Amino acid sequence: MESVCLPGTLEALPDVGAFVARAAQKAGLDNHAAYKLRLAVDEIATNSVVHGYDRAGQEGDLSLTAELTADRVIVILRESSPPYDPRQTPPPEDLDQPPDRRPAGGLGVYLALQGVDAFDYAYRKGQNCHTFVMNRTS
Amino acid sequence: MDIAIAVEEKDGLTIAMLSGELNSSTAEQVQARLLELIGPGCKIVLDMSGVNYISSVGLRALLLLYRETMRQDGRIVLCGLTEMVYDTMFITGFLDFFETFATCAEGQAGIVRPS
Repeated sequence: MESVCLPGTLEALPDVGAFVARAAQKAGLDNHAAYKLRLAVDEIATNSVVHGYDRAGQEGDLSLTAELTADRVIVILRESSPPYDPRQTPPPEDLDQPPDRRPAGGLGVYLALQGVDAFDYAYRKGQNCHTFVMNRTS
Repeated sequence: MDIAIAVEEKDGLTIAMLSGELNSSTAEQVQARLLELIGPGCKIVLDMSGVNYISSVGLRALLLLYRETMRQDGRIVLCGLTEMVYDTMFITGFLDFFETFATCAEGQAGIVRPS
């Protein structure tokens, strides 16, 4: 099990990406799956910083662990911004809207949740725990 | 994980080449720089062959650039999308409105043809 604890700031997001990329490489994910896992964690971590910590005027960490099992790689992001379950975000209904009508935001959670093989969320001990799973054999 | 933006004016076209990642650290800078290039009737060829990562923040920047270009009766095309950037833009519906070309040369030829 690998872990890292980073500050909950936008500046830390490249390190979040690098951590996930290393885990994906160790798991032997192909480029496509590795990209999607990294994108998923990046999107949720970005939301935790921008819509979580920054909006609430809080400081906190982005704590990451990566675990390999025989058939899966599991990345868990823990952060202590206000409770928020990304699964509650309604999926964008307007992906086929013309560009002048579609809202500029709201794509991040969609990209995150549709990009991984499984996603789970729980609020435990004052922390949002986001779990991202990719299958190693696909 | 920075991004480089190279801009060239050629035959009435503005060719902008991005190299790096279009993410939460870089999107604002890219958006600000490219917005400067947009003027009435502009023709912008955005070479994305050096962009190996795009997140929703980057997509948002591209959407705002597209809208501003349309508002000024200009035209913007994307070239050389790498596989995963293409994939991300496809599943979010961005390829429904963005014109894309395989190479920058094709983009330059395509943008002067009627759409």
